[in-house]
Amino acid sequence: MSSRVRLWVFLVGAAGFAALFAAACFDLPAFGTVPHPYGVRAVHAALSHHTANVIASVNFDLRAFDTLGEESILFSAVIGTVVLLRQARDEHRKDPEPATVHPPVRRFALLTLPFALLVGLYVIAHGQVSPGGGFQGGVVTATALHLLYIAADYRALERVRPLTLYEIGEAAGEAAYVITGFAAVLAGSAFLTNVLPFGTLATLSSGGTAMVLNAAVGLEVTSGIVVLLARFLDQAVEIEDPGEDDGSPRHTGGGGGNGDDEREPA
Amino acid sequence: MTDVLIVVALLLVAGAATAAVLNRDPVRQALVLSFLGLTLALLFTFLQAPDVALSQLAVGSAVTPLMILLTVRKVRRRPGSGGDGADKPAGRER
Amino acid sequence: MSTSDGWLAAALVPLLALVPVLWRIAYGSPKDRLIGQNLTSLLAGLVLLLAARGFHRTSYNDVALVVSVLGPTGTLIYARFLDVLPDSRLVRWTALAGVPATVLPLCVATGPGRAMVKLLLIGALLIAGSVVTSGRGGKGGVTA
Repeated sequence: MSSRVRLWVFLVGAAGFAALFAAACFDLPAFGTVPHPYGVRAVHAALSHHTANVIASVNFDLRAFDTLGEESILFSAVIGTVVLLRQARDEHRKDPEPATVHPPVRRFALLTLPFALLVGLYVIAHGQVSPGGGFQGGVVTATALHLLYIAADYRALERVRPLTLYEIGEAAGEAAYVITGFAAVLAGSAFLTNVLPFGTLATLSSGGTAMVLNAAVGLEVTSGIVVLLARFLDQAVEIEDPGEDDGSPRHTGGGGGNGDDEREPA
Repeated sequence: MTDVLIVVALLLVAGAATAAVLNRDPVRQALVLSFLGLTLALLFTFLQAPDVALSQLAVGSAVTPLMILLTVRKVRRRPGSGGDGADKPAGRER
Repeated sequence: MSTSDGWLAAALVPLLALVPVLWRIAYGSPKDRLIGQNLTSLLAGLVLLLAARGFHRTSYNDVALVVSVLGPTGTLIYARFLDVLPDSRLVRWTALAGVPATVLPLCVATGPGRAMVKLLLIGALLIAGSVVTSGRGGKGGVTA
């Protein structure tokens, strides 16, 4: 397809989208009104399932299937990154250099680390009660672990971060979501129906499957972000391109390369 | 009063987004992006969407900068000299 | 849904203070930009606390809590890669004056209880984070 044709295809598509979008916008309820038709129904559905945070109810109960899609997007994005950023055959790995960190910064980071972990876990655990949930809390938890990189260096982080465990955790989180969905099928309902007892409103054990799915997403996101950042850190800190030290430009793939005997890590 | 806050936050978001586009150096852009993320989180809070604000904060305040800076370090180290020449914002193109 | 306009008007103060900060981040020297980044998360934390009170939603304080933890983390990440952690009296004094000036009235308005403990915690985190990331050697004596 020539660029001219492509442009026309785009313009036609964009015009169609603009027309439909504008038409849809005119049918929206006014901005900022208190009784919103969808809002009223969502709040009613959330309260009938004893979920205090309506957003969590929408995400993990009413639209649990959509969230499965979103979770899978993150899951496959992380897998894609792992594949792209793996150690290529002509790259070699060097030990990262130890870093010296300003003592107050080191102390602050080390003191904040457990605290940030706790905040992350708190946000995950209270997903069905207060704002937050598996995704937000998961990212905070994963960030908290990387305070160790700030407090010391990459070697310190590597020592306490068994990457395999996080890779398993990511897959387990994704699997737990699907299994919870099928458990509802076994219980005689549709995929991802909320079949568990709803518990007491505004407590940690409320919301039925919303709570379980929230925890599954928390596990998946925490592990996924850790694995993702590990790949970036590997590339930036440990893995060196062929010829990086002697200043020659990077050549593509298996020529008369140096270090060809390096195998890729599994 | 809420409307005033929303308008100010919207203007800040628009200003930060424009500044992010106008800056050409990735490290500088990352800093402006952090600012943009925080103002977006404020805007979401003013619109009473704290869940979205939390998502924006969680991703925008540490993970995204870390990923951008690691990428910049890796890319800048490539043309030679092995060491940490990456740390100087050298105004190179993307 | 009722809101308290007084608290929301108060939130406007740190919010408007973000305008010059944006200018500094966009056009300042590398040192200035890092100070700006630091100041942004501090001011955003204050805005969030005041807004939470203005909307009568104590649970919105969680957003401020996350800012108080991740804001300094972000600053330290930048400091690590830019190789500067600038000494900034502006950040330090904004934290030492602004945070108590925000948190103490909020505590009085909230009354004793878990919400107040959380407010004090967020305040302490904001101060500690800003002081550590804005001075060398813990001049204010609050080095975490």
